[in-house]
Amino acid sequence: MTLSAFRRSAATWARRNLFRAPADAVLTITLGGLACYVVFRLARFVLVTGRWEVIEVNLKLLMVGGWEAAHLPRIAVALIVLAGWGGIIAGLIHGRRVRLGAAASIGMSTMGRVVDLTRRFGLLIAAVIATLALTTSRGPGLTAGGVVVGAVAGRLFGGWAGARGLPRKVVVVGNLVLAATPLAVYLYLVDAVPLAMWEGFFFNVTSAMAGIVLCFPIGVVLALGRRSTLRLISAMSTLYIEIVRGAPLFVLLLLSNVALGFFVPASIAPSKPVRAIITFAIFTAAYLAEIVRGGLQSIPRGQVEAAKSLGLSPWSQTTRIVLPQALRNVIPAQIGQFISLFKDTTLAGLGLGILDMLAVSEAVTQQPGFRGQGLIIETLAFTGFVFWVGSLTMSRESQRLERRLGVGVR
Amino acid sequence: MKGPADPIITLDHVDKWFGAFKALNDVSLAVAPQEVLVVIGPSGAGKSTMIRCINGLEPHDSGRIVVDGIELSEDIKNIQEVRRETGMVFQQFNLFPHLSVIDNVMLAPRLVRRIPKSEAERLAMGLLERVRIPEQARKYPGQLSGGQQQRVAIARSLAMHPKVMLFDEPTSALDPEMIGEVLDVMKDLARGGMTMIVVSHEMGFAREVADRVVFMAGGEIVEEGTPEHLFTNPRETRTRLFLNQIL
Repeated sequence: MTLSAFRRSAATWARRNLFRAPADAVLTITLGGLACYVVFRLARFVLVTGRWEVIEVNLKLLMVGGWEAAHLPRIAVALIVLAGWGGIIAGLIHGRRVRLGAAASIGMSTMGRVVDLTRRFGLLIAAVIATLALTTSRGPGLTAGGVVVGAVAGRLFGGWAGARGLPRKVVVVGNLVLAATPLAVYLYLVDAVPLAMWEGFFFNVTSAMAGIVLCFPIGVVLALGRRSTLRLISAMSTLYIEIVRGAPLFVLLLLSNVALGFFVPASIAPSKPVRAIITFAIFTAAYLAEIVRGGLQSIPRGQVEAAKSLGLSPWSQTTRIVLPQALRNVIPAQIGQFISLFKDTTLAGLGLGILDMLAVSEAVTQQPGFRGQGLIIETLAFTGFVFWVGSLTMSRESQRLERRLGVGVR
Repeated sequence: MKGPADPIITLDHVDKWFGAFKALNDVSLAVAPQEVLVVIGPSGAGKSTMIRCINGLEPHDSGRIVVDGIELSEDIKNIQEVRRETGMVFQQFNLFPHLSVIDNVMLAPRLVRRIPKSEAERLAMGLLERVRIPEQARKYPGQLSGGQQQRVAIARSLAMHPKVMLFDEPTSALDPEMIGEVLDVMKDLARGGMTMIVVSHEMGFAREVADRVVFMAGGEIVEEGTPEHLFTNPRETRTRLFLNQIL
């Protein structure tokens, strides 16, 4: 395309989309001006006026709190192992699709693949690089590199294994190893630093993940329970859901801190992070149950009738026919709830007195060198940014998951 | 009738209520093995309700339903047993959209009869060949036409080796050009000796393969007989009026 042709088509595009009518033009200019101003102020804050030393000095505190420096390599190892683990699983899924001839990326060029990956993880990678620029030691950079290598190696290995179709024995053992990996990583970490000392962003991430894993089965069981024809089960599920949904999460967290003593003797009472995780799971399960119930209701009656007429047991009808479709139909709402939980982990700071990332970002502004300078703006901005990147990546991946699982939608 | 034998399905004075509405009124019917029965009648006549009662999708309120010597009761085990004997094909196909075509067909044999995967795959491919769409095995139901979907649904029911096949208006949701391919598969089945109860208004099909046609109205069996008799020389006025409307 020549330059003048490009100019012409750009002018046409602008006329159609920005200046179609006088009112459109006014709106475009007003909002455009406002957007430019906001971007300018933001850029000035980030690049010029922001005093980021407070983040630089306290980066380790923000990320992992009081985790002993001697044990930091364990976190690095954990991250690299989990990256490889995730890579292997993604690869296995992809490889299986290749074997069955259903992979979307067959025939995708290398360039196309790079573009695809950038779109998915570009923001995350950019945020990590920006954060690495603030670090003074070599550890975080090496870890990030290790994570990338681990993920790529895992993905390649998984893709190879998945496409080949391994012998049954290997598959069984492999699945067991994969299932046990997160637990092994947890034990490896907790062996060095007890759970009660998990702080900073590390607490937010791990407690969110634990909360999600725990709340999912509870939520599904509650949703099925609420629809049960057995009156007692349905009434109990409904009661649970309505009570928990009626209480603010912050109140539940405060209660878990002070009221647990009524039920459990102090000697065996769980540590604060455990209480936080249980509260998160209890709370999110109630919301998840309502989301899943919506999904269950979206399945036409004919599906159950077909399953029944084939002689499937009630258990098979639910687990093979109804639930898979119901859960798929509500993926966006489910992930939305998980993103909510991820952000709500910051409530545990004030609610339970845990030094999570938000609590640290407030505390560091009280340090001798930084006190009374209004640095809370910088620390909150950084914390908000980190959560935003995490949430947006989750939401993007959920859309992708939804598209992928959309195969065969009626 | 093709063979003198004890009936494989017996309905004995069956009543069925939906709230205050009586959907089946004192329905008695006996179907012999290998017999092909076509049920016709205006909407709301109780045709679908009757065949849905036969495999326990709707519980009946009084009377007896016996399928291959098993009497339907409230007991779920007992209902499951009857359902294993009877295949059901629905107006809206009701294929499982999250499973591929071959998985739709393999599911019940694997879960209910617990046959190994490789054997189930062979069985499914054989059935898909029988309904003439083996090349669609790896596709998903949403990617098939209505006629193809209904043929998969028939294969899915056959996979359980039922002794009886029930068809609930199998061609009424189809575009006209796809009706023929589904009827052809059903004709093959009938000629192969399958016992069938077909709720349908396809008169050509009834004339060609039905041993007996049953006319229902208002929840009752009004009249039954051979296709020739019922279509050309019905006894009852209600039958005649209905046939005048649809022919």
